[in-house]
Amino acid sequence: MLRLQIAIAAGRLAGRASQLLGRGGSAVPGLVAERIDPRLIDRLVASIPRVVVVTGTNGKTTTTKLLVGMLESAGRRVVTNPTGSNLARGVATRLIEVARRGRVDTDIAVFEVDEAAVRALGPRLRPAVTVVTNLARDQLDRYGELDTTAAHVRSALEHAAIAVLNADDPMVAGLAGTAGADRFFGGSDPVRAQMPDDRTLYGDAGGPRPGPEPSVLVRAAEPAGEGQRAALTVDGEDLEVRLLLPGVYNAYNAAAAVAAATALGVEAAVAAGAAAGVVPAWGRGQTVEYRGRRVRLLLVKNPAGFNQAIRLLAGEEPGAQVMISINDHTADGRDVSWLWDARVEDLAGTGHRFVTSGTRALDMAVRLKYAGAAAEWAEPDPRTALDRFVDGVAAGGTATLVPTYTAMLDLLHLLQPDTHRREAWT
Amino acid sequence: MRLVIAHLYPAEMNIYGDTGNVIALSRRLEWRGIDAVVERIAVGDPYDFTAADVVVAGGGEDRAQLAVAADLQRRAGDIREAVAAGTVFLTICGTYQLFGHRFVTHDGDEMPGIGVFDLETHGGDERMIGNIVLDTEWGPLVGFENHSGRTFLGEGQQPLGMVRKGYGNNERDFDEGAVAANAFGSYLHGALLPKNPAFADELLRRALVQRHGDDAVLGPLDDGVERAAADAAATRP
Repeated sequence: MLRLQIAIAAGRLAGRASQLLGRGGSAVPGLVAERIDPRLIDRLVASIPRVVVVTGTNGKTTTTKLLVGMLESAGRRVVTNPTGSNLARGVATRLIEVARRGRVDTDIAVFEVDEAAVRALGPRLRPAVTVVTNLARDQLDRYGELDTTAAHVRSALEHAAIAVLNADDPMVAGLAGTAGADRFFGGSDPVRAQMPDDRTLYGDAGGPRPGPEPSVLVRAAEPAGEGQRAALTVDGEDLEVRLLLPGVYNAYNAAAAVAAATALGVEAAVAAGAAAGVVPAWGRGQTVEYRGRRVRLLLVKNPAGFNQAIRLLAGEEPGAQVMISINDHTADGRDVSWLWDARVEDLAGTGHRFVTSGTRALDMAVRLKYAGAAAEWAEPDPRTALDRFVDGVAAGGTATLVPTYTAMLDLLHLLQPDTHRREAWT
Repeated sequence: MRLVIAHLYPAEMNIYGDTGNVIALSRRLEWRGIDAVVERIAVGDPYDFTAADVVVAGGGEDRAQLAVAADLQRRAGDIREAVAAGTVFLTICGTYQLFGHRFVTHDGDEMPGIGVFDLETHGGDERMIGNIVLDTEWGPLVGFENHSGRTFLGEGQQPLGMVRKGYGNNERDFDEGAVAANAFGSYLHGALLPKNPAFADELLRRALVQRHGDDAVLGPLDDGVERAAADAAATRP
């Protein structure tokens, strides 16, 4: 216990020092504290009645945010990790922040966990519920092969009481039977057709649903304002969900969150109602005001996520102005080959206007050229590119940014210079 | 005029954007008014390689490579005949390895190849990952490599190029890829052809001559964006 107390104190001190130095950095306290007490997470989690883990390739952050909103609407006190800080040190940092006398006083904790880190964290968190959003190829220079990632998640599920699984994703549906019990979410055939899984992405035709009939089904999803209206069936009950989040993929995230919330005893109608109040997480469909324009950010990290953004853009009125910002830092994946796996061809003939930025602005310009949707210009520097892009958008108009992870951080820093960098890749 | 591009194992061997090679070849033909017909060949599909002008294949996961290795054995005679007849092949990473004599895993297991190239590959512990630049007969080539296999060329096997930056076939010899007749093998993803248009056109020129004779010509294209992208990529760490 003494060791734990010292670890917590040291972690907090390191966090304050890091902030004084202007480094922000949500990883520092956890990193320091875990070095002093390697069982810190295990000890603090033992005092929390129930833990939920959200993992998968895409949609972790948004699903976590939706689920937290649903649980809070049901009157639960919730602890969660800050956006994107989804390795062990991020979890440890959050636990240190909320610990009192070596305990965490809360009803439930919801942690977003990186799909490669989940193998080690799974047995330490012993979750009541683990949500697996989807599994697709992602940054092969960092994550390795998809089979390896699936094996990490499978190993983690052995320590979960209930698994909430995507019935429409063959890699995820294949994890059924690993946790104590399974609960599935998915889409009706027309909705499912708009969410190509990893195999359809790489050339296999879509077939029947790979998993069983889902308990939480997205029957339909229609754009509405900057978000959408989704029709869900939850254990036989029809519900309408309004979302401030665009794109069919976010209807899936909402279904995953509803499936987890109801498994935790929240009434379906309460969960569905709470979704309407959840604003997009940083860069994930978020819209910000900048120099009199509305600028929307659609973070993309891999071909599956890029395809979701492409589908969203292809369905919008002609004339949309889009800047695609591709960086190749470690957190983005240093290999930009994945740009060729995305269905960029679907942007041809949309009547939209494209420009590119980021360290790999020119790679993206080549990709657009070969897709038949040539970029008007390519400018690697984020500040120069953003200003030039926004200058081309009429005052009061709307523009869309499609950045990779570190490109998003660069752009948000320019769009909201006063906002502290809450999110840091760790 | 038209050319047939056969995409070998598009679903099984395509995790690093190697489809970009098929896209680049198709567009560069279409921009010159030449029809490009893309045919997809999956494991088990019957295919007559004399119908193809360019055969393209990419890299895949270990499990996929095993399935593909068995399928390639059944096609070995047909493919070697097509290579001897001058059909253009571009094989990347996993399929490049299988176009050699064998792949020997770390545990000593052997996966037989089809021997188009005189080389063999040994599984290693550490992956060789990063941006790579080669010098070749067709100018510099820029790409991204990500492989644990170390490939060693036989005596007299011509490499595709010499490594200026990166690893290449292995960390010892500074060579990269292999060339036999009109068959090319390489570890370069990126995808390889879109950012290396002169090399893409070299493949197309050879295929055109094979099919339509010596007077078939490829008109010039504006490759400003492609060349700028290659120059920028070559400076990345």
